Amino acid sequence: MSIQTSGLGFVGQSVTRIEDDRFLIGKGRFVADVQPEGGLHAAFVRSPFPHATITGVDITEANRLAGVVAVYTGAELNEGTHPFVPFVASPGSYSPLYKPMADEKVRHIGDPVALVVAESRRVAEDAAELVVVDYDLLDGVGSIDKALAPETPQLWERADGNVLHDHTDTYGDVDAVFASADRLVTLTLHSHRQANQPMETRGTVVEIEPATGHLTIHNTSQGPHVLKWVIAAQTVDQGRLRSLWQFLRNTPRRKAFFAAAREFRTSNAADLKKQDNAAMKGQLKKDRSLLKHLGQMGLGLLAKDDYPTVTSVDIGGGFGSKGPVAREDLPIVVAAMRLGRTVQWIEDRVENLADGGHAREERFDVEIAVDDDGTMKGMRVDAIVDAGAYPSFPFGAHVLPGMWKVYMPGPYHFEAFQLRTRIVATNKGRVVPYRGPWANETFVRERAIDAVAAELGMTPADVRAKNMMTEQDAPSHFLTGPTIDETMSTRKTFERALELIDHDDMARMKADAQARNHRVGIGIASYHEAAPGPPDFADAMSPGAGILTKEDGRATVEADGRIVMYTSQVPHGQSHQTTYKQVVADEFGVSMDDVEIVWGNTDTSQFSFIGTGGSRGGPLGAGVMRSTARHVKNQMLEVAADMLEASVDDIQVVDGNIHVSGVPAHGLSFADVAGEVANRSGVSAGPVFSHAEKYEGVGNGGWSCATHVAVVDIDLDTGKVEIPRYLVVEDCGPVINPAIVDGQVRGGVAQGIGAVLYENAYYDDDANLLTSTYMDYLIPTAMEIPEIEIEHLETLTKGENDFRGVGEGGMIGAPAALTNAVSDALGIQVTEQYLPPTRILELAGVIEPDRPSTQGT
Amino acid sequence: MSTELVTITINGSRHALDVEARRTLADVIREEVGLTGTHLGCEHGVCGACTILLDGQPARACLLLAVQADGAKITTIEGLADGDEMHPVQRAMKEAMAFQCAFCAPGFLMSTVALLEENPSPSTEEIRKELSGNLCRCTGYQSIVAGVETAVRLLSSTARPGVEQ
Repeated sequence: MSIQTSGLGFVGQSVTRIEDDRFLIGKGRFVADVQPEGGLHAAFVRSPFPHATITGVDITEANRLAGVVAVYTGAELNEGTHPFVPFVASPGSYSPLYKPMADEKVRHIGDPVALVVAESRRVAEDAAELVVVDYDLLDGVGSIDKALAPETPQLWERADGNVLHDHTDTYGDVDAVFASADRLVTLTLHSHRQANQPMETRGTVVEIEPATGHLTIHNTSQGPHVLKWVIAAQTVDQGRLRSLWQFLRNTPRRKAFFAAAREFRTSNAADLKKQDNAAMKGQLKKDRSLLKHLGQMGLGLLAKDDYPTVTSVDIGGGFGSKGPVAREDLPIVVAAMRLGRTVQWIEDRVENLADGGHAREERFDVEIAVDDDGTMKGMRVDAIVDAGAYPSFPFGAHVLPGMWKVYMPGPYHFEAFQLRTRIVATNKGRVVPYRGPWANETFVRERAIDAVAAELGMTPADVRAKNMMTEQDAPSHFLTGPTIDETMSTRKTFERALELIDHDDMARMKADAQARNHRVGIGIASYHEAAPGPPDFADAMSPGAGILTKEDGRATVEADGRIVMYTSQVPHGQSHQTTYKQVVADEFGVSMDDVEIVWGNTDTSQFSFIGTGGSRGGPLGAGVMRSTARHVKNQMLEVAADMLEASVDDIQVVDGNIHVSGVPAHGLSFADVAGEVANRSGVSAGPVFSHAEKYEGVGNGGWSCATHVAVVDIDLDTGKVEIPRYLVVEDCGPVINPAIVDGQVRGGVAQGIGAVLYENAYYDDDANLLTSTYMDYLIPTAMEIPEIEIEHLETLTKGENDFRGVGEGGMIGAPAALTNAVSDALGIQVTEQYLPPTRILELAGVIEPDRPSTQGT
Repeated sequence: MSTELVTITINGSRHALDVEARRTLADVIREEVGLTGTHLGCEHGVCGACTILLDGQPARACLLLAVQADGAKITTIEGLADGDEMHPVQRAMKEAMAFQCAFCAPGFLMSTVALLEENPSPSTEEIRKELSGNLCRCTGYQSIVAGVETAVRLLSSTARPGVEQ
């Protein structure tokens, strides 16, 4: 059997986007476009203070306003919900349990304390201003140093001071390696608080079916299945015994539950066996109420027959921020349930800047043990993360230690590595995953390498070349555990990048710059990322974590011949609809129009812990599309062979024409085969072929690798940094759609440029947020982002699905390359990531350091 | 709240609307007229997602009150295509694969139409400058600039369609 198309196939072509047919004419369906008839609108009353005790909430005046339907205090809404509980427990960690609304204390600016539901959003907002909240102010904690200071009050009573996590991982004999090295290079690196800032804010529209109480929730969630179960679990209200009794009496429900539990145990047996419960036990020691809530929520879920439907249709970007469940989602559901009416909340930008998600406020004390010839032998890092007030569910700052410990030594030969990570609580907005959440491992390592080079009088490129792994290192293992396989191609990207740098031109540019009172510098950053990584990557982070990273998908062919593919991915800009059509059309040898992609509804898609996130859309998402499509195609070819009275080995498919080799005139289409099966079985509509699969990237896995090169031109009169050249050499395996991949890389680099030169979610030491509008939080425009050159290397493997992820890399490399370039230009070692013009002028010695104008914005 | 009767022509259709004086033009277009293609990204006039054409000039619909548009002719993203035939700027953006999540697209499309009305052959630098009032978080802008350059090409090679007002 062979599949051919007369053209080259769709994979590898920059096929224009299917999505644009609706977006470009204004017919997208974003959450704010749902607008159900008669729906009510909600507005939150939020804390204007970073830290305070709530002593009273008076809703009388707000309730009197015409058009107001209900006003709820935080305490009233919390009565209907269970708290958010820790989902990721890492060794040495404690995560406070917290309710969706602030009821006794507010812990950051923007903490929601009351909710108004009204006939329109404007009335809801008017009424929100009439709610009177009395606060007793407490000292706000706005920095890592303040959080750790002994005189600072403890923010969470069960934590150890303000430290929520403190754990050290060691690989190799660190003491011996450090003792044997010729010298030590040390530096302390900082990165500042950044915000994902998708152009669409968060939002939810909760519809309730009056007769059954069934909830349909239209939401901006990147992970709608997790949202569905969080909503279901946290709003169950039955007592434990009653729930248990209801469950036991409900025979179909009981049987289905035990069957599902068995299936889950069987299909995840290997990962479950590896999981170490010590971390969760530590968590329980701190707070035993976790067991009570888990028990109540678990039994409540068992007793229920009906769970919410969550839909995410078109989403206006997320970059990780729409992965965690919004706290606000719970009170909106409670309000809709109490009122029996549709309630919607569309976040505004001021809310989003305060609590739509922040990231990367981190500090690192770094030591590199190095020999005088440039051999880097050991790396020791002491990291501290400012996690803000409330831990994000399911993923927030607690995922960082596991990622950093695996990634931080990067593509280099270190003999020993030690990482201590502390996570501290402050009075700031939530920390969420932001495009390559672990990215600062690259900033730390690549910045430190340039410092090593300066110390030794070598070039940064030479230090990298001396220490970077080569193709000969595969197959083996990283010091931190995972397999180095043939996809570990960072060295190839690095060497190609060096070829593309014109050193004569650089020298000329540097000389010209001096004459204009400018400085020019060049910076390199190399890294690899698991996208999705070899099978042992997840275990290296946390044993058994692979349970989270599988991807379900389903292929069906309907009676009328349409190929309908169901994905658990939730597109929000990544163009899944187009790329998956390319992959599936090629698999069948048909046109893209013959394929339909279905996403964004928890009733039709299979469960996924993550949805879209973690650069999974290509390797796992497209992987399961191809794998299930192949399965269904093979079923159909068996039938076709039967219809053509031939052996399946003699069947050929050319441009969708299924025929016996050499006899194309007597061919069948896939629609003919579907029609035949439909006829035989008397089915007139719906699927006649179907195959579902839990996909693990069988036999493939793999690393995405890249080297970034930034050239900066700094004006010493103004402090302005221009980027005359930005180059990315990357390897994500075979590219499905080059224009779409280039867009992912450029978008990531643009966010990295924004992070270094413009963006800062700035709090003062008392945790007052000073960047609450786009006049203060500066998103770079078309004037600031340069053209970005991209060269693709496509390392192939023997795996059957070789696509590797590419969504996050741009953001991972850019801050490191840019800060290295600025260091080179100014002849110093930059130790922070935020470099606005005033800071550039300070670093260049043009103005005095530590003037007030250098703080924040 | 007091209301005012305003008459606004949107994409060629006249709408007589009784609106509260404080309501923004963007809210009225989205909620009363039901044209949800105009998006609200920041509601304080920075991101440009809500850009529409008001009597041919680009304007932020989130910063205008509906009463200010009384008697005006407005074009939104839904008004660009001629039936099923996309406007050359829409075709160009599709060809250049300009957008990703496309939440910002309505603003960029309207700004681009306005730009090319005024300056049919802008330089790359002029394009970047003119579009700097619109924020995109996905693309790094290069593909959008390419889309505008494609539109310049398409518009110069075809008869120039006016935007119906």
